[in-house]
Amino acid sequence: MSIIKTVDVKKWFGDFQALKGISMEVAEGEVLVICGPSGSGKSTFIRCINRLEQHQEGEIVVDGIELTNDLKNIEAIRSEVGMVFQSFNLFPHLTVMQNITLAPIWVRKKSRSESEEKAMELLERVGIPEQAQKFPGQLSGGQQQRVAIARALAMEPKIMLFDEPTSALDPEMIKEVLDAMKELAESGMTMIVVTHEMGFAKEVADRVMLFDEGLMVEENTPNEFFDNPKNDRTKLFLSQIL
Amino acid sequence: MIRDSKFFIENPYGRWVRDNLFSSSSSAFLTFFAGFMVIYSYRGIVGFILNPERMWTSVTYNMKLYMILAYPDEAMIRVWLSVGLALILGGLSIGFYNSGKTISLGGIFQKLFTISAVIAILIALAPTNTNVIQNDGSIEVVEIIPQDVRMLILGPSLVLTLAFFFLRNVKIKNLFNTAKVNLTYFGLIIASLYFIKIPTISLDSSGERIIPDPFLPIASTTYIPWTILYVGMLLFFFIGSLLKNRDIKIMARLIPISWFLCPLFIFSWIFKKPLVELNTVFSADIPSILVFGIIGFLIIRFSDNESVGVYRTPINIGFLILSVVVFLLPLVFIFKATMVLLLLLLVVSPAIATTKEGKRQLFIVWVVSLFVLTFLIRGASSDTMLVTPTGSIFGGFSLTWLLAIFGTYASFPLGLALALGRTSTLPVIRIICTGIIEIVRSVPYITWLFFASVMLTVFLPAGVEFNLIIRVLILTAFFSGAYFAEYIRGGLQSIPKGQYEAANAIGMNPFQRIFLVIVPQALRTIIPTLVGSVITSFKDSSLVAIIGLFDILRIGTSVIPAQSQPVVFIGRNLEQLVFLSFFFWVFTFVFSRRSMKFEKRLGLGER
Ligand SMILES: Nc1ncnc2c1ncn2[C@@H]1O[C@H](COP(=O)(O)OP(=O)(O)OP(=O)(O)O)[C@@H](O)[C@H]1O
Ligand SMILES: [Mg+2]
Repeated sequence: MSIIKTVDVKKWFGDFQALKGISMEVAEGEVLVICGPSGSGKSTFIRCINRLEQHQEGEIVVDGIELTNDLKNIEAIRSEVGMVFQSFNLFPHLTVMQNITLAPIWVRKKSRSESEEKAMELLERVGIPEQAQKFPGQLSGGQQQRVAIARALAMEPKIMLFDEPTSALDPEMIKEVLDAMKELAESGMTMIVVTHEMGFAKEVADRVMLFDEGLMVEENTPNEFFDNPKNDRTKLFLSQIL
Repeated sequence: MIRDSKFFIENPYGRWVRDNLFSSSSSAFLTFFAGFMVIYSYRGIVGFILNPERMWTSVTYNMKLYMILAYPDEAMIRVWLSVGLALILGGLSIGFYNSGKTISLGGIFQKLFTISAVIAILIALAPTNTNVIQNDGSIEVVEIIPQDVRMLILGPSLVLTLAFFFLRNVKIKNLFNTAKVNLTYFGLIIASLYFIKIPTISLDSSGERIIPDPFLPIASTTYIPWTILYVGMLLFFFIGSLLKNRDIKIMARLIPISWFLCPLFIFSWIFKKPLVELNTVFSADIPSILVFGIIGFLIIRFSDNESVGVYRTPINIGFLILSVVVFLLPLVFIFKATMVLLLLLLVVSPAIATTKEGKRQLFIVWVVSLFVLTFLIRGASSDTMLVTPTGSIFGGFSLTWLLAIFGTYASFPLGLALALGRTSTLPVIRIICTGIIEIVRSVPYITWLFFASVMLTVFLPAGVEFNLIIRVLILTAFFSGAYFAEYIRGGLQSIPKGQYEAANAIGMNPFQRIFLVIVPQALRTIIPTLVGSVITSFKDSSLVAIIGLFDILRIGTSVIPAQSQPVVFIGRNLEQLVFLSFFFWVFTFVFSRRSMKFEKRLGLGER
């Protein structure tokens, strides 16, 4: 049973074609890592999955709902799909607690006390329960990113998308964020992760994909991907990055 | 070198002087130059104020005129009650929001030391003589501060300075709550009304002016009301503290709402002829609020109901047509206005009333705005109180205050709406909003004022006649609203794209995204600009003098200098100007200080 299915997805920015026909499927509970050189369309692709970008051709079906222009569908899918950004994008005017409870209260229509309880649980899960009353500006980058993960999880999504969650972080903070993601993967969450952290890919991913110039050039198990790549482009990419 | 002497290196004061005033030869020059300028102007000002030519009674005697123009004496109780309402609310909020900050006895002494030192320096530097120009053009030198008077002030203040200098360092554990200390200061000011004498006027039986008796308390008409108000304020301070300790959460919402409604209430209180026309209230206002309230409640309640949702578009369209029809029909204005409000509710409720909490809040907002609207329209279109020969009873500082507060109140939501409209993706709305903003901004305020005074009536629906003040208010709202809109738009543009994306990614609808994520951040970034423009509109309100309203400046420059009764104040311009500058300065200074604190508090979440 695949929870995400895309068929020949194409996307243009003006004249420039960023996605040149991507077809793939993700099964429930699977962890998929996407890597590839800069500008290859990785971000564009996963942003199409929750419609932060609009694809022009092809078909994207998430959890049985096809992505069309119907606003109802889009909001329904967005509350099923959590997203974590490279630049955290926390709401700076709200405390950590308010950041996490905002969507459950307003979108999921839960009571405040229930949402706050749940938020505390999530903060404990990502390891920063003591920061609940602080503002994002008072936290380190790693802590902010973990709050962002908790905020996405508070909506109880079925799928989590990560767009280079560690590339804006100092090396010593990368591990704490990766640990939180690892724990999430072990709990059975469906995840699509765009990252250059090859260690994470090797250890956690069920499948690894390589994007290049708007195309998916390789799709493989982590072991095969790193040790025995099919495509020359993958070999070149790995030689540059490792 | 003196700079390297022991005093300038080891003594902390000496070091401060060395580092800040004489850090280099050019800064030493600037220090001397600026010091000379300051002392020179200070002596000039003192000479001006104490000059026997000045007649300061023309200010103090006319204080009531300055504050509230020719407001009838028998109705003054309303004014006092209004001030009392504000003070009581103030006391309540000070008690409820008391941050628990404390100041030590040493800290208090430090402040007193500074104050007495400043007094000592000022009196020491004050000039002994000043020049008086005689009728024949010759200049006579007059003594204004005799040596013994100077000594009489200088001596005690020096003693106090010394005393506080040493008391400053006392290590007393006692800490005082700053809020309570400030209330005490305020109490001392009011207590001083019993003792300090401001020269005022008394006339003997033949109408001749008597030089005031220095031992009679002066503020004889005001010290009793002030005392009562102060006691009320104290009382509510303690009630506020009690509520805070009991941790009564609802107050945190009630107090801001009360602050918001308080000026509206005061306004109608001071402005309307009968306080309430019970007939209209019972036969028209209450039923209409009830009916509309219930309709609104039903709309909110069923707004996210699936079966209703299907018919949303036809319902909205039907309602739009209906409200246009209502607006064209010859109905009471208040009914039309409420219908439009209802339409607005119908449009926004599906977006906001998606949760229990949202529903409740929207309902509260709905009922409150119904009340406010009814109240405002009733208040605005009812008769004013007594009309004096000047054609208006409302003027002076009350008018300035009214224009500033209501200008801000009305223009802020208007500006927000215009800004959002201008950034909207719907072309019709965008063009309309851009048009309003650009037209309003491209015409000078004074021109708009003339428009308000002579032309606005033409544009208002038939049967509505607003008082000139109300017309000016409507215009001011639009004028500052257009400026606010541009500031807010700037704020909106400063919000990074990532914030929109994050809000989208957690499934928010456009309304939630705008009002929970984008607008709060946008407003926060432009608070300094907004404060600046509120101050500007406070000062600009003086311009209404041009169209015949009596604001505080006009009273000072043309009413008082023309007074011949009961004492001749003819030509007393200078005193009024000095007083007015001081008055405006105090207000804007306090206001900008407060807002700086406010900014700091909000700045906590700065990224
Ligand atoms: N809003 C946009 N307008 C125009 N071009 C865009 C836009 N967003 C992305 N692109 C282009 O689309 C291509 C793919 O961009 P994308 O952000 O998906 O790359 P990426 O694989 O995520 O790269 P990186 O590793 O640097 O994040 C790039 O060439 C980029 O310039
Ligand atoms: Mg990217």
